[in-house]
Order: sequence, then structure tokens, then C-alpha cells
Amino acid sequence: MYEIWLALNILFELGLMYLPTLILLGAVWAALMAVAIVRGQAAWCAARRPAIVIGIVVTGVMILLTPSLTLSSLGELKYWVDWANLAAIAGGFGALAAALTLPLAATLKRAS
Amino acid sequence: MKQHPPKTLSTHPQDSSRRRFLLGASAAPIAGTLALSLSSGKARATVKTSAHIVIAGSGLAGLAIANRLARDLDGARITIVDRKEMHNYQPGYTLVATGIWPVDKVVDRNIDLQPGGVDWVREMVAEFDPIGNAVITDTGKRIAYDYLVVATGVHLDYAQIEGMDVNRIGQDGMASVYYSHTAAEASWQAMETFRQKGGEALMTLPATALKCAGAPLKMTFMLDDRLRQVGTRAGSSINFHSALGNVFSVPRINDEVLSRWAALQIPVHFNSKLAAIDLGSRRATFVSPEGERTEQSYDFIHVVPPMRAPDAVRNSPLPWQEGGFAAGGWLEVDRQTLRHRRFPNVFGLGDINGTPRGKTAATVKKSAPLVAQNLVDVIAGREPSQQFDGYTSCPLLLREGSALLIEFDYDGKLTPSLPMIDPLQESYFAWLMKYRLLKPAYLAVAKGRV
Repeated sequence: MYEIWLALNILFELGLMYLPTLILLGAVWAALMAVAIVRGQAAWCAARRPAIVIGIVVTGVMILLTPSLTLSSLGELKYWVDWANLAAIAGGFGALAAALTLPLAATLKRAS
Repeated sequence: MKQHPPKTLSTHPQDSSRRRFLLGASAAPIAGTLALSLSSGKARATVKTSAHIVIAGSGLAGLAIANRLARDLDGARITIVDRKEMHNYQPGYTLVATGIWPVDKVVDRNIDLQPGGVDWVREMVAEFDPIGNAVITDTGKRIAYDYLVVATGVHLDYAQIEGMDVNRIGQDGMASVYYSHTAAEASWQAMETFRQKGGEALMTLPATALKCAGAPLKMTFMLDDRLRQVGTRAGSSINFHSALGNVFSVPRINDEVLSRWAALQIPVHFNSKLAAIDLGSRRATFVSPEGERTEQSYDFIHVVPPMRAPDAVRNSPLPWQEGGFAAGGWLEVDRQTLRHRRFPNVFGLGDINGTPRGKTAATVKKSAPLVAQNLVDVIAGREPSQQFDGYTSCPLLLREGSALLIEFDYDGKLTPSLPMIDPLQESYFAWLMKYRLLKPAYLAVAKGRV
């Protein structure tokens, strides 16, 4: 479907625009994963809950912040398409936060 | 030698690095897999040919078709003729001119968007000789072709406005978003100065076909919003002068805009064409169809130039010879195949086409793939297989943070890409599209991927 292809290309071009940021985030995530794996006995199962909680919290925060970060406001969200897109964007940030939290929490749980 | 565009300074601090970080991070989970999926696009079938294709113009249309043909044709020689080194994201001009974007967001390098392996003649086409299958550049160079794509864009005919001086855009309360990226930036400076005190504002619309016909409307909505933000709207007036009997060619959108302007107390003066301007004394002269002239003083004016085909096209055998598109010198193409009606080895793409309504980047987005395929069909000895419905779109800014996402076709029928989008529903999503997502889409179009 054309619109899906278009959306993927928009995300790809956005990725190119923010490539240094993406590389940095990828490196941080890889480093956290490496630490968790190399040190051994990482508590992956126990880390799920804090990762999910952090992900939900970040999603909620981003729902509140994203409109103002894009020069708009929550008051401008007039119908469900607005809310669906905002939820998707905020959910992306939440997933990212969860992905970063997971190896960190797994390492910390093991250490404790 | 590659040249860098001149550095320009932003006057608007709102696009902070923090925002860029936050928004960029949202693409992180997907970008990696996208790189793989996008690269597979190169695996499409190609047509072997030794044809020489000349593309006149390297705006969005010229770049999009060049990238597509470079990928779809094996062995073809492709020549782009255009002098400009800088590529401007013109759909962003209204964002710059209303203080939403810094100007550097609309400046890119042309060479970065061109495909590899094409010849780039850094001259302008001065003459088209479709009978002799050649173009002649402004240095006198004759370039023969087998196939020609005309993508020259429009000529901004400021000369039709007596007293107009594009070098004074941004001064003495005069704005004009169309002329260039620096003019857009200067227009914001004029608007910013005006809104601090308020006063009388005149907004104009000529009678000719326009590229981005929504831009004069966006400037009007945003001026109203900018005045309200600083509390000077109550003491100000905004009058919109349209040289036509409407402000937008799609009746439903026209009615919607007029309804909103009535609520915002923006009166519209129909059949009132900007004929002359005295920049020093800030007086504009409007003329009615009957020739009656009316002089108006102003503190701020937005000048929208009449538009027509560039002289090279207009003075060639390529334009319409009769009918509504002949006066502007627009290219005589079949509105469905976008193939020239009299010269079958010539196609038109973008603003130059003598077709109804669509002179936008969105038109190029939808028509470039069709023209590329139709040209490939013709090179392969087939009839053009693709037909264009005239799709175009306009994210119509209503105020900072909200917009309408309008999509329509040749017949003015509203054609939302996604069925759940209500074109008359003001929304944050439409704003977000304009503010953050359309430039990435534009770049993907220029690179020939969508």
C-alpha cells in the first residue's frame, strides 16, 4: 500500500536527519546489553517489570510533552486521528525507554 | 567542485536541539530495518536503452524524474539542465515566513539530491526546439535529445505589479513568501515588526494559476494568529484582496476558508487585483475587472505575484495554443498521461504543466512515478500505461499548532489518502504533518523512492 511505503520512507528520512542521535542511542543500548551479558547472570525476567513501568511512564510523559515540543498543545487535539498519532509517537519514546531500561535493570538486579 | 549554500542565520529559536533529539529518537526502533527494506527497491526491473533524455529543471520534479529514470533505465544518458546549485524546500517557505521554522531548514544542496551518473549542465534552457529535438542553453549550447522532460517550474511575474521591487521584500511592511528562502525569512521579519504594533494589513491573491495556492491563505491565517499572540489583533485590520471571485479553486475549501475568515473578522474583497504598489508611502492600488482603481494605505502587505510559464517555454512551440492555459504559456500536456499532445517524445512534470489546479510538491509526489513509467513505456515502444488523476494536497495552516489536511484531484473532488482523515477537520495531526513530516516525504520524492 502506497501510504505505508510513504510512511516508511518518512521514518527513514527522519532517521537520516537524526542519524548521530540514533547512533548514540544505539551505542548506549549496545553497551548496556554488553555489560549485562558479559557480567553474566543478568536478571532478564526480573528486569521486565521496571522496563515496562518506565516505558509506560515515558509514554505518559511524552503524551503530555509532544504537542508543545512540536509548537502545538493538547488543546489542539480535536479528534481521534490526533490522539492515535500522538499515542503512536509517545509509544515510540516509551518503547525506546523500555529498551534502554531492560539491560540496565537486568544488570542492577543481578548486582543487588 | 561542489559548492556549499550560503549560511543564513535563524531568527527563530524554537526549533531547539532538544526537540530534534526527542523527535529523532522516535524513529530509532524502525530506522534500522527501514534501511534494509528501502535498499531492496533498487532490485526493480530496468529497461535497456541508449536514449538521451534531457530534463529541463532540477526542482523537485526534475530531481524526482532524474532519480527514477536513472534507476529504471539501463544505458540511458540523462542530462539535467539547470544552473542552480542550491535546492530550496519551497513548501517550507510559509513556515519560515511565519516564524515557525528557521530558514536553514529549507536550504539543501542540489547535487546531494541528484542521482549518480547523470550529466549536469549548469546553464538554463533559453530555447526549446521540439521540432529539432534540442534545447539551447543561455550560453548558446545546443543539446540534442531523444526524449525531453520539461520541469522548469513557473515564472514569478512581479513585473506585472507596478512599483514592485523584490529587493525590498521585508522592508517597509512588505512581505512576499514566494520569491526565495531569504524573502521568506525577510517576510517573517516584516510580519514580526508589524505585529508588535498592529495596524492595517492587506493580503493579496492574483488571478493567475499559482504554485501552492494555499500559501496566501496560510499567510493570512498565520498573520491573524501572530497578532492575537501578542495582543494586537483587536487594534488591527486584515483585508484580503482576491483578483478572482473566490480565494481557492475547490468550492468546499473556499467556503470553509471564507467561513473561518468571517469568524476571524477578515473581510474579503473579490475581483480586486493588486495593480501597483508605492513601497515608500505604503500605498497599494487595486483594480476591478471594470478598470476602476482603488488606493489603500497599509502597514503590512503580503504580495503574491502573478505566475506564468518561463519565457523559454512560453516563447517555444510547447505551450497550449488556445484555451485557458494558453495565456500563461503553460505546457500542452495530456492531463492524464502528462505527455505532450503534439510532441510525443516530450513529457511535462510539475508546476509547468497546463493542467487544472495542481501546482504543488504533492502533485509531483503522485505524478513523477507516473511520468517516469510512461516515459519508460514510450522508450520501450509501448503506449503510456499510467494515468494521473490530478492529485494534489495542501496542509492549510490555521494557526500555530493546527491545520487542515486538504487533498483533492483535477475535478476539485476531495480525495483523502486515508479514509479516516476528514479534510475539513482542523487537527494537530495535519499540523504535525506540515511541521515535521512533509520535508522527509519531500526528500523521499526527490530521491525517487515514493
